[in-house]
Amino acid sequence: MPDSPRHNLPADPNRFVGRERDLHDLRGLFAETRVVTLCGVGGIGKTRLALQVAAGLTAAHPDGVWLVELAGLRRPELVDQEIARVLGVREEAGRPLLDTVTDRLRDQRCLLLLDNCEHLVDRCAEVVEALVAACPPVRVLATSREPLRIASELIWRVPPLDLPDDVTADVESVQLFLDRAAAAGTRPGPESLPDVVRLCRALDGLPLALELAAARTRLLSPGQIADRIDDRFSLLTTGGRTAPARQRTLLAAVEWSYDLLADKEQVLLRRLSVFAGDFDLDLAERVCARPPIAAGEIVDLLGGLVDKSLVLCDESRYRLLETIRCFAVERLRQAGEQEQLRQRHLDVLCELQERYFQTEMVEPRVPWPCRLQALTATRTLLPDQRAALDWAAASGEVGLGLRLCRASTGLYPIGGNLAEIVGWLERLLALDVSGLTEDEIAYTKACLAYGLETRDELGRALELAREALAGLAPGSLFPRGVVHSLMVVLLLRMGRADEALCHAEQGLAIAERSGDIWNQASGLAGLSAVALTRGRLREAQRHGEEALARAREHGHRWIMARTAGQLGAVAEARGDLVTAKAQYEMAEPWLREVGGDLDLARCLARIGRVAAMLHEFTAARERLAASLALGRETGQRQGVARCLVGLSVLAEYEGDLEGAVLAAAAAAALRESIGQHSATIRIEELLGRARTKLGDGRAAALWSRGRAMSPDDAARHVLEGERVPPRAPVPAEPVRPSLLTAREHEIAGLLTRGLSNRAIAAELVISPATVARHIANIMEKLGYTSRAQIAVWAAEHQQAPPRASA
Amino acid sequence: MPSLTWGGMDERIVMVDSVTGLTLTEEQLDERSATATVQLRRRGVRDGDGVLVCLPAGPDLLVAFVAVTAAGGVIWSLPADLDAGTLRELVRGSRARVMISNVGPAVDAADESRVRVVVGVDDLCAPRPYPV
Repeated sequence: MPDSPRHNLPADPNRFVGRERDLHDLRGLFAETRVVTLCGVGGIGKTRLALQVAAGLTAAHPDGVWLVELAGLRRPELVDQEIARVLGVREEAGRPLLDTVTDRLRDQRCLLLLDNCEHLVDRCAEVVEALVAACPPVRVLATSREPLRIASELIWRVPPLDLPDDVTADVESVQLFLDRAAAAGTRPGPESLPDVVRLCRALDGLPLALELAAARTRLLSPGQIADRIDDRFSLLTTGGRTAPARQRTLLAAVEWSYDLLADKEQVLLRRLSVFAGDFDLDLAERVCARPPIAAGEIVDLLGGLVDKSLVLCDESRYRLLETIRCFAVERLRQAGEQEQLRQRHLDVLCELQERYFQTEMVEPRVPWPCRLQALTATRTLLPDQRAALDWAAASGEVGLGLRLCRASTGLYPIGGNLAEIVGWLERLLALDVSGLTEDEIAYTKACLAYGLETRDELGRALELAREALAGLAPGSLFPRGVVHSLMVVLLLRMGRADEALCHAEQGLAIAERSGDIWNQASGLAGLSAVALTRGRLREAQRHGEEALARAREHGHRWIMARTAGQLGAVAEARGDLVTAKAQYEMAEPWLREVGGDLDLARCLARIGRVAAMLHEFTAARERLAASLALGRETGQRQGVARCLVGLSVLAEYEGDLEGAVLAAAAAAALRESIGQHSATIRIEELLGRARTKLGDGRAAALWSRGRAMSPDDAARHVLEGERVPPRAPVPAEPVRPSLLTAREHEIAGLLTRGLSNRAIAAELVISPATVARHIANIMEKLGYTSRAQIAVWAAEHQQAPPRASA
Repeated sequence: MPSLTWGGMDERIVMVDSVTGLTLTEEQLDERSATATVQLRRRGVRDGDGVLVCLPAGPDLLVAFVAVTAAGGVIWSLPADLDAGTLRELVRGSRARVMISNVGPAVDAADESRVRVVVGVDDLCAPRPYPV
């Protein structure tokens, strides 16, 4: 396991002020509580508190503390997707994503921080319930305006910061205000302390309100701010009059801060609300620059909003707090600009993603760093892409939505989640598509087919791919090439090599005519694969070499790795293991660079298997272990099964026939559980050798034992040469009696006699209340929750009933 | 090994709920309040902390009082039949971090107060093992 930090929490943007006791208590709660929800109005500081709590819990959660931000999501099914994305879990064919996620987390001591659940609270509740039920060590910390309302939840109401009273002004709210004022460049002197106190009270200690007020101290004194905020309460406009007091206070503060903005700043702030995630200056300029704002002004306007704490900035990326974003959305709606802006957002996303797609895949002679940059940029846009697709569906902009899907390689196998792209495509295709051209529909079907192939829905994928080929316009050359390559894959998987050959040839011919290097490489790799299937190894080698050469010319690491892998397979087929390993090893760093974890897992398993056959056992072990870890992390049972097969090979080459049978049996069982058939020839041969060497009975016994083993146990058996211990409950760590004081011992002893608190009190000549306190202390120290448990413990730990002496 | 003598000697009744006729024995009181004490501590109650208790008179109230005392807390008692406005005022005026109540208006009053955790007696008295 790498020692990388096991969390994805952001760095603190500024000092966290106060709430020490809450931090301590909340962290303590997780010793016994599975789910804690921080509840409270927007702006009360739930997210910041949660992040702070979580940061202090990393040591207690060796499998990680994972922040899942939900604010930008607009659809319940995306909750599962987002959790999976954060954890690096990928969809398995034919299985709900949540099942894969719970499987992956089953034995993980990790904490999930679900931030901003309120708008998706029902789905969050279902997901958390499923996780808690299936994964005993997992803990969940949620922030939400509304509780999840599930059985295992402890609701923690987040109060405002402590307010100054008549005695002391050195309290959290004042500290926060002064800290943020100092950050804004002002240091209110002691003479203004009474005004600061008045302001903190007027703002009811609400952290966001205090931050907004402090950001204005360069122009206004605390007294002036307090006066104006007071006036605000009578001027509340946004339907806040009947809201609870804290919500009213916050709204007043936000409205006040907003009204103080220059006109153009107001316009920009409300326009920024269309972004679902964080954004950079370029995106802000593209989407928000329209009258009265010119693109060139945006950088300064953004700077102004950052100064006023209405926009947060972290290393050239900007974002709005969810509370501010909700307010700004409302203002955008009131200004009658919402539709325009969301349309513009969709347009811009489309333009950008199509440009990135061209750069990454299609344009010739683009250096790899530029292609990679485009791929990275497209991944960064994922939250906005989801928002834009939502708008496309809601506003009936099916054409634009589909264009966006098609152009978003970030959602394709290399970077994203196919379940999601298939879902979007199906959703958009179900709308009115009468305005679309046949070419557009065909291209969309090609994308859908691509997604379905990865889900192993071969028949449907083939049908769609055929329809796509029939419908694509003559000029749509790149998509045509892609569909031909997809057909090759589909037909080879279905055992129809002759038809596959046809498509490989057609795809290659089109790509050569149009100078499309990607599809040339892809077509040649297809020809090589067809030749390999037919046992024509020299032809397979020739096509493979040419494919790799074209792939290198293109420069995309994914297609380079794919063609190198093809050459590796050809070398393996002719028994040249050294070359095979070299080819697979060549692909490994390319796949790392491109972040294709599923392909990487497959590649590592191949290297491991071939290394084992070459008697390079250390290397084999290392690669298979790495592949297994990746298979587990991404939740791919198929990947785990593949590693077990590799481990079986390794064990047999090392002379451990028993281990080989166990691992093969565990792989077979796992594959059956996901509805796959094992390659039986190797297994039959292996079992034949096992029967000869170990005898029929022993071989059969090993096989059944292996089938019953968990994949992890079987893998450990080979990787660490570990003998699997019989499953027995681990005896609990005995509690050392010295934990208890002499008096507590005495009382524990009296409990074995079944005495009541009153009777114990009489015996020891102390009050029953004191006895109750002692008993509470004992329970806490021993981790018990009832008196009876203490009595049993004391009976087991004491030789004789204690005497009532000190 | 000494024999355990549960039942029998501590079936002395310490409280009778006049409305329901239900009784609370000394053993029940000891056992339930001990469990509740641990639960209060786990929810962060420390020596000297105020704990709001708003329950109708009856066995639960007695258990809650004993548990808060044993946990080292200070009982801030609230009559369960107060009107919502008064309850709200009292709850908001308190600096309690924990409230023991199943009384609707009291629970609602916690909303804009400094109470972090609201817990019912049933929850407090359910013995829960430590999780895996």
